[in-house]
Amino acid sequence: MSAKQKRILTFIFRWSLTLGVAMIILIPLYWVFISSITPRGELFSTPINFFPENFTFQNYVDLFVELDVATMAWNTLIITVCSLLLTIILGTAAAYAFARFELFQSVSWAFRLLLFSALIPPVITARPLYDFMKSFDLVDTYAGLIILYTSLLLPFSVLILYNFVKQIPASLEEAAQIDGANFGTILFKIYFPLMKPAIATVSIINFIQSLNEFFTPLFFTYKIKLLSVGITTVPRESNFEVPWDLISAMGWFIILPIILFVLFFEKNIMEGITQGGVKQ
Amino acid sequence: MQGSMKRSTKWKLAMLLILPVLLIRGFTIVYPLIVTFINSFFEINMFKGGEATFVGLQNFASIFTDGKIIASVNFTIVFTVVSMIFHVILGLGLALLLNMKFKGKKFLRTITLIPWAMPMVVTGIAAKWAFNDSYGLVNDLIRRIAPEFQFDWLIHPWSAQLAVILVDLWKDIPFFAILLLAGLQFIPEEIYESAKIDGAGHIKSFFKITLPMVTPTLLTLCIFFTMWRITMYDLVYAMTSGGPGDSTSLLAYRIAVEAFTNLNIGYASALALMLFLIMIVFSSINLLFIKKAQY
Repeated sequence: MSAKQKRILTFIFRWSLTLGVAMIILIPLYWVFISSITPRGELFSTPINFFPENFTFQNYVDLFVELDVATMAWNTLIITVCSLLLTIILGTAAAYAFARFELFQSVSWAFRLLLFSALIPPVITARPLYDFMKSFDLVDTYAGLIILYTSLLLPFSVLILYNFVKQIPASLEEAAQIDGANFGTILFKIYFPLMKPAIATVSIINFIQSLNEFFTPLFFTYKIKLLSVGITTVPRESNFEVPWDLISAMGWFIILPIILFVLFFEKNIMEGITQGGVKQ
Repeated sequence: MQGSMKRSTKWKLAMLLILPVLLIRGFTIVYPLIVTFINSFFEINMFKGGEATFVGLQNFASIFTDGKIIASVNFTIVFTVVSMIFHVILGLGLALLLNMKFKGKKFLRTITLIPWAMPMVVTGIAAKWAFNDSYGLVNDLIRRIAPEFQFDWLIHPWSAQLAVILVDLWKDIPFFAILLLAGLQFIPEEIYESAKIDGAGHIKSFFKITLPMVTPTLLTLCIFFTMWRITMYDLVYAMTSGGPGDSTSLLAYRIAVEAFTNLNIGYASALALMLFLIMIVFSSINLLFIKKAQY
């Protein structure tokens, strides 16, 4: 086999695998999309028409009119943004302390405990936590959800930010100290600006995680509707019927921003998840 | 801050900075965990008034004779083992593909991130419809090859279990591969080059260089992914609601049903505690591996 033949074979091998993987991932997404724009009458027909001649955005209109997804999106956004901000503020402060005062036994043990606590699945703590939140009237409130979301996001965020603080030389803040800077100035004027890339990475991943969070809103809210739970409660006309028209539209309404996010921030996300290696 | 402060001042400052995080995690994780521990020794059933009666280890004893739990545990084990085997094989394959230097690299990496970034519920709900006999995507694709094919995946226990596993693989193998890719990138290029000079082919250098060097990462990932499999909830909630019968009710799903639907809190706590002990065993194995990899 000549070198040229070998090159062509490698080319075909790589690209056929790549396209195979891409099709396995994208065909289901494409199918959900065409379902969402197919007119209701044509949806329940076989075989599936992958290139529909008629299309409609009626399902998306119905989402807003019948299901009020605007409110769900708004609730999701408020909770996501608030928990993100809280996580960044508390997480950066804690990450700084964990990284700079590691010599204290108590501090390094607290850090280990925090990471270990991330492994405890929510289903183990859910029931007592529910009763506990209820005793403070925090069930079905924004505040309650924000606390729970922040708690979920913290371990991963602290870990990433901690790794980043460790890379910043301590001599930097010592110099600032000699110049008379106090602690607040050092944290806000030196650390926050330097940590921007890490904060961006953490925020992007946390944003996706909070949009996707399902267990917490499922058990800790009834009236505050979020997108992730909303898609499971699309009303059906009978037990045998699946409102696939609305569900597929809602599915795309949820995943489109996520896909755009992935396209824009592919590099940050890659960096973040390979550094933390932890899902939540 | 390091130099000028007294040791005690430093400690106070450190505590002040980490306290909010510890409080939040303490109240939302540690405290409920302790309550779960205590509740597991009581019979508390909200349908029977919700009063707590001390029953010792009886909750734990009933676990072993409860047919629903045995079904859950069985499927959790099958689900985890089968899923993990394919995670390792296909995940490694995909990671190798992601690690190749060619024009499609960025395209492939971006696409691979999509299943990870999607909510599990959306995946599960779409999957429920995709495995529908008449209108689903899966049978439609099969019918393009075998036109007469008819099969309702989610009404037979074995095929529902298979479908759940397939969806789990679709959703999480890409993530597994991306994390594995980080391990692959640590292998220095020079090793491959010198192996090439020594006459080693692709297959030989995979088994002699890539596999041994990526094994520590692979093991750590397996521990984490196994734990996530054992505690998976969203997928079966959205896709099968644990059915048909109890054939796909993973352990975490079963616990949530006992705790929030049957309101059998004492029993649910005992189950949760059992799950917690399994997690402890796995994370200790994890620590052992990490120690080994370091020395």
